[in-house]
Amino acid sequence: MSKPELWVIAERRLDHIEPTTQQLITKAKGLAGDQFSVVAILLEATNDHLENELTAYGPDEIRVVRDDRFPTATDAEHADALQQLVTAYQPNSILFGATITGRSIAPRLQAKLQTGLTADCLDLRFDDETLVATKPSYGDNIMCEIICPDHRPQMATVRPNTFVAAPTTGDATVTTATVTFHPVDRLQVKAATPVVNTATTVGDASRVVALGRGAASSATIDSATKLAEKLGGRIGVSRPLTDQDRFTHDDQIGQSGNTIHPELIINFGISGAVQYLVGMQDSQTIVAVNADENAPIFDVADYGYVGDAQAFMTALLGQFN
Amino acid sequence: MKIVVCLKQVPETNDVTIDPVTHNLDRRGLAGVMNPFDKNAIELALNLKDSRDDVQVVLLTMGPDDYAESLREGMAMGADEGVLLSDRAFAGADTLATGYVLAQAVKKIGDADLILFGRQAVDADTGQVGPIVAEFLHQPQITYAANLRLSGANEVTAERLLEDTKQTLVAQLPAVVSVRSELNTPRYPTPRNIQLSFNKPLTTWHHDDLDLDDSRLGQAGSPTIVTKVYAPEPVKRELTPLTGTPSEAASQLITALKQRQLI
Repeated sequence: MSKPELWVIAERRLDHIEPTTQQLITKAKGLAGDQFSVVAILLEATNDHLENELTAYGPDEIRVVRDDRFPTATDAEHADALQQLVTAYQPNSILFGATITGRSIAPRLQAKLQTGLTADCLDLRFDDETLVATKPSYGDNIMCEIICPDHRPQMATVRPNTFVAAPTTGDATVTTATVTFHPVDRLQVKAATPVVNTATTVGDASRVVALGRGAASSATIDSATKLAEKLGGRIGVSRPLTDQDRFTHDDQIGQSGNTIHPELIINFGISGAVQYLVGMQDSQTIVAVNADENAPIFDVADYGYVGDAQAFMTALLGQFN
Repeated sequence: MKIVVCLKQVPETNDVTIDPVTHNLDRRGLAGVMNPFDKNAIELALNLKDSRDDVQVVLLTMGPDDYAESLREGMAMGADEGVLLSDRAFAGADTLATGYVLAQAVKKIGDADLILFGRQAVDADTGQVGPIVAEFLHQPQITYAANLRLSGANEVTAERLLEDTKQTLVAQLPAVVSVRSELNTPRYPTPRNIQLSFNKPLTTWHHDDLDLDDSRLGQAGSPTIVTKVYAPEPVKRELTPLTGTPSEAASQLITALKQRQLI
């Protein structure tokens, strides 16, 4: 008997695969063990080959559906196509990235299937064939474990960058499936244009270069500005630097400034006073560069370098090019 | 033109704690307020109302009787009427069962051209109910709209901001739209509008006022079950030292950030 299927719905981001898809495939493989078969579902145009961006992550199967209307399809059209696949293959569970696209299509599919969907999950596990999804509530102050015991498929959207994508050696089988595309004429996607960096404040930025007393020279600030540009992020500062002309209170990170939780923060020359740490310690990936190896910033960091902030920044910037 | 704005009442603060003995959510003393994101949806409806003469704005919510306070607040902002869906049979609903009752109520209200939602509720943070209602009503949806204008007699044009893409969408009405909070700044109720709001109709519909399939209501109609509620442990991080010369260390960092798909 074939194994029940655990699906990851691949998301397209302009001409590429959205990274959360790869993260979810890696996670799904870890969850599946011998119990489930991990299937990536990919809806793409006739001449697309986005499956090439998925094979390295080793799902058991990549099931591709091709139609030239998919790249500009609306949420309802995507949900309709996915519903047809669910009816044909009866998966046990379906995972989406909790991106704007995923959070728009998944509930539409949920309503069609009349099953349960848990939003914005931070962890997943299986108890036998029951998916246990952990989701935050009340602004991440509370965690809830949610199950969907009596309905299939079980569905979840998972917060981007919760899991780390890991390429593997296994071979993925690429298969094709067909659905009937039912166009919804009442809604048209007229245009899609890339937006490079929409963050206007340090609180909105998904990447932050943070500067403190140990990285306050004019040259360092210039380098940091370039680094922030390359990362598509913003500069933030600790309290002492708000006295400089180039920064204001709006740029400040910490208890008396902005509380931020970007995907990435690189701290230069910040020792890490408690008031600063509470403003950024929930960031997803924290890097710290400081001359003092006993600086408290290293207690909350994922990666740390003990040394001169300017020298490290110059080296980092050089290697970006 | 009739606009229905769906809203939710949420606890005043997200500073909720877990009772260490019962492990239940401790909500004592938490007053309810209108979900702040829903005010952006009301503001959009009122902007459209300001721009033409024939717009009627109806607020809709499902919850206990005290949710009427949020309807009153929305009417004090300028909405024309409020509908409260209140019945013990609706209690314990997850997003699917909530969406079902809201969709049935929108049908009863009748002739809605636009059904608006805030981007998500600040307590549960799902943002699911708008798309669910759209599906049950068989209507097109525009989620996370960054702006919206009437572009024809029966048509709206909206921009939707994805993470790094901007989409322009054109929808024939009726349609369901959820709005981003950056869309506008909600107005405050003026004393005159507060005064006027007391004469505006606030209707309560119970179970028997709607055409409902009982198996799709409340806890019984909710596929999901919360099995555990707990306070998150602070994230424990393991420091990976970057070593060697600045150049060597920078190269280690770049490898690590690539692995995490951050660059």
